[in-house]
Amino acid sequence: MSVLTSLAQVQAAAAGVAQPVATVRHCHLAAAPLVMVPLKMAGEAAAPLAVMLGSDRAAPELLAVPQPRNRDLRFAFAAEFAKLVLEHVAANVGAAESLGEGKDGEERVRYTEAPQILLPNRGGVGFLRLLGRSTRFRRTEGPYAVEPAVPALGRWLTWYADRHDRPGSSLLLTMTETLRLHWATGQSSLEDGNLAALVGWIDPPDGLDGPAAARRAEDPVASPPAGPATDPTFDNEVLAPAIAAYDGAGRDPRAEERVRDALRGQLAPTWDLMWRSVDLLRTLPEGGSVARRWERDRDGFTWFHRSFAESLPQPRRDIAVRAARRLHDLERAQDAYEAQRAFDDPLVMIEHRLNGLAFGGVVVGGDPARLDESGKRPKLRPHLLVATGDPVRLDPGATVVNAARPGLKGRVLEVGADGVLVELTGGMGRGLVPAAGSVPQVGERVVFTSLTEGSFGPARFPEAEDTPWTHGGPPAEYVPTDEDAQEDWS
Amino acid sequence: MTLEADALEARIGELRAAVRRSMAAGDRATARRLRAELREAERSWDAAVLGGGPPARPGPQVREQALRALDVLGAPAAPRLVAAVHAALHGGDITGSRLANLRRDEERAFRSAPHARAHYVCAALTADLLAPARGLLTVGSWPLERRVVGRLSARTDFLTAAIRLAGHPRHGEPAVQRLLWRFAANIPGASGGALGTVDAAALAAAAQAELDVHLGADRRERAAAAARAARLGDAERLFGHRLRALRAASGGLPHDPSDGERR
Amino acid sequence: MTDTAPALDRLRGDAPPRNHDARTIAALTANPGCARRGLMDAAGVDKDAVARHLGFPAPFGQSQFAITRGNGFEQQVKENGCAELLTLLRERAGLDVAEVAYDDLEVVAGGEGRELRHARTRALLGRALDGDAGTLFDHPLLKLDIAGQPAYLEPDVIAFQLAGRFHVVEIKSFAVIDGQAEPEQVAAAARQAAVYVLALRRLVAELGHDPARVSHEVFLVCPENFSNRPTATALDVRPQLATVERQLARLTRVDRLVEALPDGLTFALGEELPETVRAVEARYAPECMASCEMAIFCRDEARACGATGVLGRSVRDDLGGVDSVAAALELADGTREAPPELAELAGQLRTAARLRAEALQLAAAGGVA
Repeated sequence: MSVLTSLAQVQAAAAGVAQPVATVRHCHLAAAPLVMVPLKMAGEAAAPLAVMLGSDRAAPELLAVPQPRNRDLRFAFAAEFAKLVLEHVAANVGAAESLGEGKDGEERVRYTEAPQILLPNRGGVGFLRLLGRSTRFRRTEGPYAVEPAVPALGRWLTWYADRHDRPGSSLLLTMTETLRLHWATGQSSLEDGNLAALVGWIDPPDGLDGPAAARRAEDPVASPPAGPATDPTFDNEVLAPAIAAYDGAGRDPRAEERVRDALRGQLAPTWDLMWRSVDLLRTLPEGGSVARRWERDRDGFTWFHRSFAESLPQPRRDIAVRAARRLHDLERAQDAYEAQRAFDDPLVMIEHRLNGLAFGGVVVGGDPARLDESGKRPKLRPHLLVATGDPVRLDPGATVVNAARPGLKGRVLEVGADGVLVELTGGMGRGLVPAAGSVPQVGERVVFTSLTEGSFGPARFPEAEDTPWTHGGPPAEYVPTDEDAQEDWS
Repeated sequence: MTLEADALEARIGELRAAVRRSMAAGDRATARRLRAELREAERSWDAAVLGGGPPARPGPQVREQALRALDVLGAPAAPRLVAAVHAALHGGDITGSRLANLRRDEERAFRSAPHARAHYVCAALTADLLAPARGLLTVGSWPLERRVVGRLSARTDFLTAAIRLAGHPRHGEPAVQRLLWRFAANIPGASGGALGTVDAAALAAAAQAELDVHLGADRRERAAAAARAARLGDAERLFGHRLRALRAASGGLPHDPSDGERR
Repeated sequence: MTDTAPALDRLRGDAPPRNHDARTIAALTANPGCARRGLMDAAGVDKDAVARHLGFPAPFGQSQFAITRGNGFEQQVKENGCAELLTLLRERAGLDVAEVAYDDLEVVAGGEGRELRHARTRALLGRALDGDAGTLFDHPLLKLDIAGQPAYLEPDVIAFQLAGRFHVVEIKSFAVIDGQAEPEQVAAAARQAAVYVLALRRLVAELGHDPARVSHEVFLVCPENFSNRPTATALDVRPQLATVERQLARLTRVDRLVEALPDGLTFALGEELPETVRAVEARYAPECMASCEMAIFCRDEARACGATGVLGRSVRDDLGGVDSVAAALELADGTREAPPELAELAGQLRTAARLRAEALQLAAAGGVA
């Protein structure tokens, strides 16, 4: 939240429709993502009620639990859910690009695709995380045995939920967060959490404006909530009687169909909204650095997939070293992600121009072919004078790069009334004459910034065996115990 | 799907939306009225599409099942425990709501024909006011000392029940073991058998050890209360003494002029 | 305070004062700066009824699945003389084996009348304070004075006595997974428990004992992981206690608000209700949706006035506290002169507006900034 985004919001409120806060799409969108709309049972930690999922908008699959208190039905659901998710994962393990040999001499590869999951909102991520936690420790033999696909599902869901926390990752996206990254509405973030209201502001139906569309979206009877929580009046008036009828009819398939119909009615509108959201995002061209971040995602997927068979389920709690390293990695990833978005998108760069860490304007003068002959050998050091109205806060000597072409580096010499004087120091080719087109001409618009992609180097962390006693000492090897598998599922 | 079912479905959809809207707006009166119509429509749909199911048949006498279970437990017990004991020993459910109504039904039956049955499922009486204790069932023919409950009685009765169940000839069966486990988990020193099993002897010993701590005080309180309860009228002795004013106001039971007079 | 009491009664109209419970009392602490809410709460007005009458009913209803689960878990923890709870308290709070006394305060002599239950609660707790044994008290009925009206608090709470001090126990059915629970749920439980601690302390003081004999440490009992097994967590509710006490004290200081109102104003449900409500200023923020039944009405009012508050507190803060959307936009396009304290912000808004327009125009034209 900043003056910039708040301005966009008041502009939206006045206009009655959402305003763009991005000119490019800052996330990767797969050709056939797995769209998932989960519903959970009220009052339980992670008892699934139903899920509508699929990668073809015309062919959603509906999985439902007609009596959520029945353990067998819950695990049958989990097994079917596992099957569909694992199928989607497998469909993305196809071609791989070779990355040459690694340090240990082994061939390194990266899959060319990775499975992407799309959820309506953050509640869905929390739900997948809990579902992953409640399934990944299950045993496949002995008492309380489950099908092998179930713990596998748990590990994948946990992995996806963890990746969602990583800034810049597109493996698991929530539509509310992703849409808000690109549009500002005239309602609060609380209301933006309602996907139907958010889409209503961004793309109001004919004859309505944003606020009217959002009002309609707040009526849970006309517009079922996107989940995972269900509407209480739906639970009490529709679902509970249907479940009771199912119980009373002795598992009659027609009674089951009644429960499924009720749930389908709650899920189908959100399913449509999810695909509309995807369409809206596809109207934006992909940002320049998106492919690079998706590569990191593909690396992660490749590693997790290939080591799946020998690995253990993720432990309940991070060990101290891993937690510190993860936090550090996340901070670096956040900085890099913010910088990359600014370089990709002039609308985002404005944030930094307002902070004085970037400035933009027209080149009004300078010396494009200037040589610096003060040292032993002459160096190409063109001068540019950029006229700008931005509140520049860079000191003389600050290193800057060209936002449109970060290879072009320079140094701020002077910030004066007629503009900023920049000395270019690199990115113009080898010779003493600048390569064609590498130096901005008079009359051109440019933006220079002191932003770089990543401000601190890799952290120095002790190896796990050397964890200091202040952090609990070296961690014990994680061995799955009987207790893990023995947990009741109420 | 017939036209009738289609029309019913459309009506059901409308009624559902209307009920939900009134509930959401806090208008309970309208919601109640609409809900009644909705249930009718749903019943018609069920009949038309699912075919009428067999009506729920009342099972064997609930009171007999309760009396048998209480006999095993030998101490005042909550309906849920009574049902659990019955399920463990005889399979099948007694639904909790039927048991909850049992005490009220037994009281009605007694008042209309006192002592007509050999045994009644009764209330436990609170030691201080000799009122019906909430959520407890007893057998009418038990000695009064067992049927009154003092402050420590909830715990001592739990321990007593544990000892009786552990000593039951069928304690080794899986269903009974599962029931015993719920006791063992809440009695110090009782758990520690192999995974999934309960050592009945250890459970009984641990329960007795704790029971010894409370028994003296509990017995004293119960004996004193039993002495006072002995002076109550028959119905009140079995079903508890409620404050007069409240009873008259509730208006549910026929007023028996004889009880409550003798104190 | 007695001066305002009749004025507050008139304000409320002929309706009886609204029944509070711990949840609504805890909610009183939200948005202390809102005069409309402060006055309605002080007068005991039923905000729900008012909202409905105005045509903006607050969303109503809880899923029966959640209710059943909650009741079922509570029943399970408390059954058989609170056997599971005793096990937890023995492990976590060092309760002695001999401490197993159970007193049921939910029903007294077959009746559930409030006065009777409260009287019995006072009697039993008084005896406990005087040294008589007594460990667990199931469903005690406490009283708390809210702006001159008694509120009956019936916790699904058991106060138990350990080493001469009472501890409130709250049984909630949200899960604690790997030692962690949803922070908002824990926070709500802590606020609610603080209200009970407060009420219990006042009772103890009335009985002539030291209120510190009610501990600020409460026990939260929740299901563990994905099972029905309960686990107990100790919560220190001193911060929440301070907040509730502050807010309850504030409720009594509504004199100035009342004085400023025109005579004859009343919140009675009638034709003048909209006028009355609008006569008292509100301070709407999205947080109101979670704690006040008037939220939807106030949101609609704020939107109609083009208030920046509807966008959220942080947005309003970013805009330097500028109250209206129109004013913010005029500062941004330079048609409004900024007062000195907003000069810097106005400059930022103007720059931001200019740069946005420029960037969007270039993007539309397919160019690059």
